Amino acid sequence: MKLILTLLDKTRPLFQKGGRFTALKPIYDAADVFLFSPLARTSRAPHVRDPLDTKRYMSTVIIAVAPCLLAAVHFFGLRVLAMVLVSYAAGGAVEVLLAVFKKDEISEGFLVTGILFPLILPPGLPLWMVALGSAFGVLVGKELFGGTGRNLFNPALIGRVFLALSYPKAMSSGWIEPGQGLVGRLLEYATDAVTMATPLAAAKSGTWAALPDLFFGNVTGSVGETSALAVLMGGAFLLIIGIANWRTVAAMLGTFVIVTAGIYGGDPHAIIWHLLSGGLLFGAFFMATDPVSSPIMNSAKWVYGAIIGIATALIRNFTGYVEGVMFAILLGNIFAPVLDELFVTAHVRRLREEG
Amino acid sequence: MARPKGGYNIGIAGKPSLRTVDLPVPSRLVLSLVSRCFRFSDIRVEEGARVSAGTVLAIDPVRFSAQLIAAYGGTVRLGRVADHIVIELIDGASPGRPSGSDGAAQAGARGGSMGAGVADGSPADVRNRLVALGAWQFITDARTGLPMDPAGTANDIIVSTIHLEPFVASAEALLDGRLDSFVRGLEQLHELTEGGTIHVAVADGAGFAKELAALVAQHSWCRLHTVTARYPLGHPLLVLRALGLGRGPERPVWAIGTAGVLAIEGALSSGAPCVERIIALGGPAVSEPIHLRAVVGYPIDEILRNRLCSDDVRVVNGGILTGSDVSPERSGLDVECEGLTVLGELRKRHMLAFAMPGLSRSSYGRTFVSGLCPGGPPESLNTTLAGELRACVSCGQCIDVCPVGILPSVIHKFLHADEIDEVERMRVDLCIECGLCSYVCPSKIELLSDMRDARRLIREEHEAQKKMELKAKLEEEKRVAAKEALAAEDGLAAREALAAEEEAGA
Ligand code: SF4
Ligand code: SF4
Repeated sequence: MKLILTLLDKTRPLFQKGGRFTALKPIYDAADVFLFSPLARTSRAPHVRDPLDTKRYMSTVIIAVAPCLLAAVHFFGLRVLAMVLVSYAAGGAVEVLLAVFKKDEISEGFLVTGILFPLILPPGLPLWMVALGSAFGVLVGKELFGGTGRNLFNPALIGRVFLALSYPKAMSSGWIEPGQGLVGRLLEYATDAVTMATPLAAAKSGTWAALPDLFFGNVTGSVGETSALAVLMGGAFLLIIGIANWRTVAAMLGTFVIVTAGIYGGDPHAIIWHLLSGGLLFGAFFMATDPVSSPIMNSAKWVYGAIIGIATALIRNFTGYVEGVMFAILLGNIFAPVLDELFVTAHVRRLREEG
Repeated sequence: MARPKGGYNIGIAGKPSLRTVDLPVPSRLVLSLVSRCFRFSDIRVEEGARVSAGTVLAIDPVRFSAQLIAAYGGTVRLGRVADHIVIELIDGASPGRPSGSDGAAQAGARGGSMGAGVADGSPADVRNRLVALGAWQFITDARTGLPMDPAGTANDIIVSTIHLEPFVASAEALLDGRLDSFVRGLEQLHELTEGGTIHVAVADGAGFAKELAALVAQHSWCRLHTVTARYPLGHPLLVLRALGLGRGPERPVWAIGTAGVLAIEGALSSGAPCVERIIALGGPAVSEPIHLRAVVGYPIDEILRNRLCSDDVRVVNGGILTGSDVSPERSGLDVECEGLTVLGELRKRHMLAFAMPGLSRSSYGRTFVSGLCPGGPPESLNTTLAGELRACVSCGQCIDVCPVGILPSVIHKFLHADEIDEVERMRVDLCIECGLCSYVCPSKIELLSDMRDARRLIREEHEAQKKMELKAKLEEEKRVAAKEALAAEDGLAAREALAAEEEAGA
């Protein structure tokens, strides 16, 4: 530890103004403060600050998706890890290049986008497409809007929509048959992608996957979303530590259940089946709760979640699309600023009445 | 009162115990001419002059001629420390009372500019006497937090005994053995306002609550209100709003803290100038956090001598959330000081600190393991920013913690987009500058500074606007006057013409 610190201190002048690698300062800084807590001190009141920083904030999401990632490796092979690495590398490269170019700091937001993105892709997707989508998501989904904190849409979803529109065939056929048994595909890199129906697609033609398979994830589908159990574990973690807002999740799943119940005449099997299938849970816990693309006020999050939940149920059952979560969340993202305007205005009006 | 929202008690180590220690006579006094509310710019003593205890050293010409009073006699040194009066070669009489004389009479006679000339005991007279004894400054306007003008009176007084910012003198320490004086102080305040109602805010679970309730039970003008013991819910402005006294500027409301009530009682009962303070000395870098009884101007380096566990510290005048850092060698306790908080400076870097489970961190959120089982030991927080400045990630913590219910992150965004009108619409005027939003922000955004900047900008804009309006009004008045004059002239001419005609007719 001492050694690394000395090394960092020794090489620092190279990256400072006038040093040989000044241009690479953002990379140096990112590595520096990643490895060691920074020496930055408060300069004014309050003189102490809460120990929570954005790094920790963002890394909790990585911990939360760990079960999904493990489940994915189990069902779809080690290829999944390669997808994550490629996503980080491509998106990270864009992030770093832009930071160097803008002489800005590298933001931690990418830690989250980089890992969520491969988890919403078909497991058999060619790696170059993963790279392209990740880069696109960061560049267009985030940086065009001004970087972390200013993006209107969830960057990972933007990357996925881009791929879905550009390579519809690969995106709807890159499925891998889940590995069976205790070991699954843990020791395989990957098998060939097959064109087979995901449970939601199969259900349209009348074949309903078994509930236990949906719950444990023994079905085809996007990398991280097939195992409801893994998603619930990670999601519960995010709710408990308070990083994901429970109101969004509750409103989204609640309205989804109500609308689905309406469509299926209250059939409990159909409701649970729909709840567990596709990307609904993953979207509810990991994508819709992205604070930046959600509305600010807690009260608005109820409406926001409801919009997504209702839209998902409607898209799934009444349109040609089998999966509705992605578009529903993007729709929610569009509504978020409107909701903010409405709820913030109402809120400050109430303040005026109070005093 | 309605269920309070927002607020937070920071789990920081170094909470002062209730023990109060008397400090010895200092070697010198370092009296600050500037404090949060006061500017003692009118200096009344000469360099090298020998003054006795109780002498008025300087006056704030803007704020009701508030006085800076020498606690001990000695030799005046001006300009030795910028913006301070230093008194050397202290003579060791008891604080505030010149040696070998009757302090009360002296101090009374020395009343200063406001003078305690005619002692008729009327409320106005008492108010003047309080000004002269340096005890009036504890009374502020509950709405603005600024010192109250002694010229007026109030219908309501809010007495807040809730001082939870880490660390300022706690009500428990202040009232320890002084509850009777406190109640007497309340009675005096009641007389001062000629029958005003006194609202005493007491923290939920305060040790003295029962006893106090019994003591004021017979006073119908005194109401006790229990407030959740969470910083800053005892802030007078929040109490004022919770009680619904906030409306209508025609009803002035005074605010005063525990120390103020005791100071007023002390000044009126003894007639001696109020130069003593009980302050908290706390924070992680203090070896034994306690309360201290010291005089205004007591040099901070002498207070801290042998009381710290490290040399590399930051000394904060007041609490860590709103106080300002001071250099111990160059300052003494100012007239408004309620405590000193000492923090270790950050000098060490920790490997992968952000990824540690955090078994003993105290954090507002629940991302540290210790956050899942609150109530753990307080943390030795130091001056680390605990991260780097980042863009707002809309986590909502600042909104959650804000005790007045405004939206700091939204105000921040509007402020930095230069949309002052929007900032104003977001009610930044309600901010009580408690500092919690800055404290909790994971992106380390200086929200408190933003709020202060925003309030200043809006104030300036309003002033500019008022000036413009005034100018326009003056011009309008001039024009009207000119017109009237013209009309009057016309009228005169017409009447003359009429008169001439009549004459001609006749
Ligand atoms: S906005 Fe003002 S009142 Fe609200 S938390 Fe920040 S400083 Fe405190
Ligand atoms: S606490 Fe900081 S990061 Fe969170 S919403 Fe407020 S300003 Fe944004």
